[in-house]
Amino acid sequence: MIPPALPRRVAAFLLQSVISIAPRDTLDWGHAMLAELRHVQGNWAALLWSLGSAGVLAKRALLSLIFPSRNRPTIPSGGDLFSKDGPMRRPALAITAVCVVASLIFFVAPVFRQAFHVSLLPWEIVFKPDYNRLSPELQTIAKKAEQDHDPEALAFVAFRHPDSSESVRLADEAVRLDPTLIWVFATVSVRTPSLQDRWVPALERFDPQNALPHLIAAEEIDIDQVLRGNVPDRAEDEPPAWQSAMAAAFKSAKLDTYSSQRKELDRRVLLRYHVGDLALLADNTWFYGLPSYGVWDAARYAELILASAQVLEARGDTKAASEKYLAIAHFGQLLSPNVNARFYEPAEQAYTRLAALAAKSSRPEEAAFYAFLADPKRQTEAKKSSSRYRGFTGNQVARWDADLARRSGVVMLLSGAILLATLFAVLLRSKSLHLSSLRPGRLAIALGLSSSAAFFVSSIVLRLSYQPYAEILRHFIRNGDETGLTNPSRFSWPRL
Amino acid sequence: MKTPRISPQTLRVLERFAECPTAWRYGYELSRETALKAGTLYPILMRLAKFSLLEAKWITTEDGVPPRHTYRLTPNGMELARAKQTTSRSGVRVRRTAFSGGKA
Repeated sequence: MIPPALPRRVAAFLLQSVISIAPRDTLDWGHAMLAELRHVQGNWAALLWSLGSAGVLAKRALLSLIFPSRNRPTIPSGGDLFSKDGPMRRPALAITAVCVVASLIFFVAPVFRQAFHVSLLPWEIVFKPDYNRLSPELQTIAKKAEQDHDPEALAFVAFRHPDSSESVRLADEAVRLDPTLIWVFATVSVRTPSLQDRWVPALERFDPQNALPHLIAAEEIDIDQVLRGNVPDRAEDEPPAWQSAMAAAFKSAKLDTYSSQRKELDRRVLLRYHVGDLALLADNTWFYGLPSYGVWDAARYAELILASAQVLEARGDTKAASEKYLAIAHFGQLLSPNVNARFYEPAEQAYTRLAALAAKSSRPEEAAFYAFLADPKRQTEAKKSSSRYRGFTGNQVARWDADLARRSGVVMLLSGAILLATLFAVLLRSKSLHLSSLRPGRLAIALGLSSSAAFFVSSIVLRLSYQPYAEILRHFIRNGDETGLTNPSRFSWPRL
Repeated sequence: MKTPRISPQTLRVLERFAECPTAWRYGYELSRETALKAGTLYPILMRLAKFSLLEAKWITTEDGVPPRHTYRLTPNGMELARAKQTTSRSGVRVRRTAFSGGKA
């Protein structure tokens, strides 16, 4: 419970604080407001009075800083803490300088620079002037990779290059140098659908049992329809090419998204190039092993098969119907637990129908097995245990930690901006670059001191809150330990 | 005479002062009478003082109680307040006439 007199005490403290930075011509008014505060009836009304009064004085103080010649010089009265001969002027300037230097020392450590970069990832879209431009870290890797003809590093940059044409060129060059890296096309083509025509046949030849090239082909058809504004509501209205691609995917023996190859490649490149920047891993392509519409398409196609199987079942052709149900069940098994949430429903229906058909054919053990697989509770458990689900929703500590790091980065940025603006204002006012001739006013000192302290404290908080992520990355690069590696996504997607 | 921009809030403050031209007023008292918050009232008082339309002085009311800042209009301020009141009343009269179809 708040003590009744607390708002009034806060009000008096606030007003006194603001008076201490008020320009000379408003000092009398500040004291007048403070004197009236004692007569304001009600503690909360006193706080409101103080807030309004402080706002007036703060505005005047700010104006005097921006327009120093507006007859609003800050008062250097003898009793002031920060006045020319005041007892706190020198210590305040010394503390400001120490905070700034100490914060800048943090930046010497690469891990801190990475932390600062990562903490500002959610605002990158605001600060990045050219979206198609590579980050400095990637530019370094790309330059060296091209010089050394390093196929893995070229592929590493291709995965992350924001410019799709450059990404394609790098991927082509990587595969030319090392044909075993042809799987790189799968990842790059997911981001560059227009080039799928060229790469999908190559991927099919490279890995004929894999469903992935067929899903990529189906996605290309989807995107083409979206671009033409003609997306069918029902799967049966999809063009034959889409249905053929999905049929081929459902018949495939495996579904390899090459995520393990990619993680290993990333690890090798990070190790070789001595890069430990989490920002390079905190991108969405890490998680999207499948084409973006892959699971959605598969679920739609499964519903189409379910409908045709039910027709067959109604006609009494249980064998053909079972084959269709099994095709759905088979594809459900191919999908990794990370991405099959959308596929639960058709898979559940297929297992239910298979259980019913087995029971009808007097195969009780088979029926019990399918019924077990169709159990919704099992599906929910599987969903909860999937790594993606756990990574995105389960770890509150990681979420809180990433929040702290992100906010520290923003505080650093804002306090740094205030610090620079204050310095600029002081230089402008003094019209000199000589330290001895600088005459910062009380407001400038107060702003400098508070912003440098905020900069320093937020640097410490950022360094500490980033430490778990630095450890996760270090373990991944050195030992291939992927534990916690999905957590960097929190920086890119804070709401997850 | 150079005068500040007269907002409706400034007019309200001037009217309060004009009611009893010789009396010194406290800031909080004015705030209550005009229903203006400190953040609105003080910039008005500061502006009036800047244009020499308002005079201020510190007065001590009781022993041990810090002095209070009090205000009253200068002769120029009084002149402006009267002028603005007249304009304001004639404006109201014109508006009333217009709304009542010319039967003021």
